[in-house]
Amino acid sequence: MATIDTTITSPDAPPVQRNGWVYAVIIAVCVVNFLPYLWVVMTGFMDGAAAASRAPQWIFTPTLDAFRYLIFEKGIMSNFMNSLIVALCSTFFSVTIGMFCAYALARYDFIGRDDVSFWVLTNRMMPPVAVLIPIFVIFQTLKLLDTLPGLILLYTAMQLPFVVWMLTGYFRDIPRRYEESAMVDGDTWFQAFRKVTLPLMMPSITATAIFVMILSWNEFAFATFLTSTNAKTMPPAIMAYSIGADIEWNVLGAAVVLITAPLILFVLVMQRQLISGLSQGVVKK
Amino acid sequence: MADLRIENLAKTFKDGHEALRGISLAVADREAVFLLGPSGAGKTTTLRLIAGLEDATAGRIRIGGRDVTDRTPRERNLAMVYDKHSLFPHMTIFENLAYPLRVRNTGEADMRQRIASVAETLQIEGLMDRRPAQLSGGQQQRVAIGRALVREADCYLLDEPISHLDAQLRARMRVEFKRLQREFKATMLYVSHDQLEAMTMADRIVLINKGRIEQIAPPQEMFDRPATLFAATFIGEPLMNTVPAVLSEEAGGFALTLGGARIPLHRDWVMSGSALVAGAAYSVGIRPQHIALAAADAAGPGIVRGTVFAVETLGSRVIFDVDLAGAIIRVMTTVDAARRHAQQIGAPIAFRVDPDFVCLFDVASGQTVRQARFSARVPAA
Repeated sequence: MATIDTTITSPDAPPVQRNGWVYAVIIAVCVVNFLPYLWVVMTGFMDGAAAASRAPQWIFTPTLDAFRYLIFEKGIMSNFMNSLIVALCSTFFSVTIGMFCAYALARYDFIGRDDVSFWVLTNRMMPPVAVLIPIFVIFQTLKLLDTLPGLILLYTAMQLPFVVWMLTGYFRDIPRRYEESAMVDGDTWFQAFRKVTLPLMMPSITATAIFVMILSWNEFAFATFLTSTNAKTMPPAIMAYSIGADIEWNVLGAAVVLITAPLILFVLVMQRQLISGLSQGVVKK
Repeated sequence: MADLRIENLAKTFKDGHEALRGISLAVADREAVFLLGPSGAGKTTTLRLIAGLEDATAGRIRIGGRDVTDRTPRERNLAMVYDKHSLFPHMTIFENLAYPLRVRNTGEADMRQRIASVAETLQIEGLMDRRPAQLSGGQQQRVAIGRALVREADCYLLDEPISHLDAQLRARMRVEFKRLQREFKATMLYVSHDQLEAMTMADRIVLINKGRIEQIAPPQEMFDRPATLFAATFIGEPLMNTVPAVLSEEAGGFALTLGGARIPLHRDWVMSGSALVAGAAYSVGIRPQHIALAAADAAGPGIVRGTVFAVETLGSRVIFDVDLAGAIIRVMTTVDAARRHAQQIGAPIAFRVDPDFVCLFDVASGQTVRQARFSARVPAA
């Protein structure tokens, strides 16, 4: 009788692929992305002469001259505050309003629902510059030119389609059963929404809010056209240092640091929320 | 607790799909009724209508005599357990159990006491600080059931609460459910597509198919006296054999012709009830458990000859699939009986049909025209 081999061997673990090229690509991407920014930041801390010299200097004595100039002589912090107020307020309004729109689109079946969600998306397709002049005229008529409420209103309207589009998908990914359970347990619709759906949506809402905030913070075209002194935000304020025959590079560098630092800090702090929010629904199914 | 009564409930969805075509049923106070049916029969829709999560197209729903048809879910005082997604993933098990009580502003001490008592019954005391994602499927469903039990609902609605658990766990949960039912004595409407769950746990079964009720009966009666062909083939494992056979009348006696063999029938059985037409074809139903194998050369009344088509060994029982010129009849026998017969495919074999265990169905309507004779002897429980 033939002997049957009953010993069981499990196969070896597959060899881990060590591919040097992966690191080469990563390093290349990092250099392309970060080196220019690093250079700008370094320039911001140079004095005028070092920044203007033709030969690039890696070693220099850091100075805060450029920052001092911008903050105390040019009063750029008032622009900074304007940007902060406009970005925070427009993010708050667009996310709050958009959240309810998205919820309605995701949960309720009404006539024209698909048309509404498509129409919302078409708003994003149009280049904003196309409506620059009409909006200028409207703002002039409504006396909203160079005011913070005007900018907040405009940015809220601009970001709303993006928020609605993003959040509709995320709301659809949350089983309706959760709300229904809460309602059978004795909650009203709004209580169920607040206590069950909203907490589950929080990562997605945070991620969307971060995106909207970045877009509002960096918005340039409308801010340049619609503001002059009172409500001028950071992007048009910085433009003043980047054009002209005689550019002070260290001042421009400092301005770039000032405008990007809050965003970088913000994203570093919120990184985990951002990633978990964006990948929600992709992994959880 | 309260009784539940639904009358002519119908639901047509917006896309024109008719999920329910008018069903009426009643669940008595503290009774466990099972809604049983294949998927897409309208079971879950019925439950959602009762819970108030969908609006009925027609019909009324009464709970404890109160018409709740137009009330919101929260005004109906029901508790519901789903097959999944019953627990809130962002809350601990304790918070999940406390949720229905907090909604009702139950006092802190009372709440803790109730949760502790339910947790003890369901053996989930050790899980209170975990999140639903950290529990196994069986634990999750126990907590989901606990969430329904912590408060005093008028009626409990269960939507396949244990169906997606694995077989072993399901068997354990069935036993646990029976115990819970004894302890809590709740008015319960339980949706299931698993006849085993319904047969073992129900006081009464409501069999539903394509949005209509096929039969309402206690489990044993459902098995012994199916009202329709659908009921006969849906309940019972293995399936009831149903084959076309011609009813013949000669010399004052009635017989069925099945696979070339004659099965004499009792005259009083044929004559009782609605008139049967001699020469007409009926669907004959015989359960595999009610047929006995016979030697291939056996002769006598009720002996039907065929060939072995397949033999399925179940361990404690053996199922012979016998080929009768195209029609397959399944015969369930003991292991001992099976040893006495040829088991090769194609071997000749015979079986004896006891006329007491035969029931007849109308081919066109699918209605039962004669219940098996044995079922009349024992009064249905």
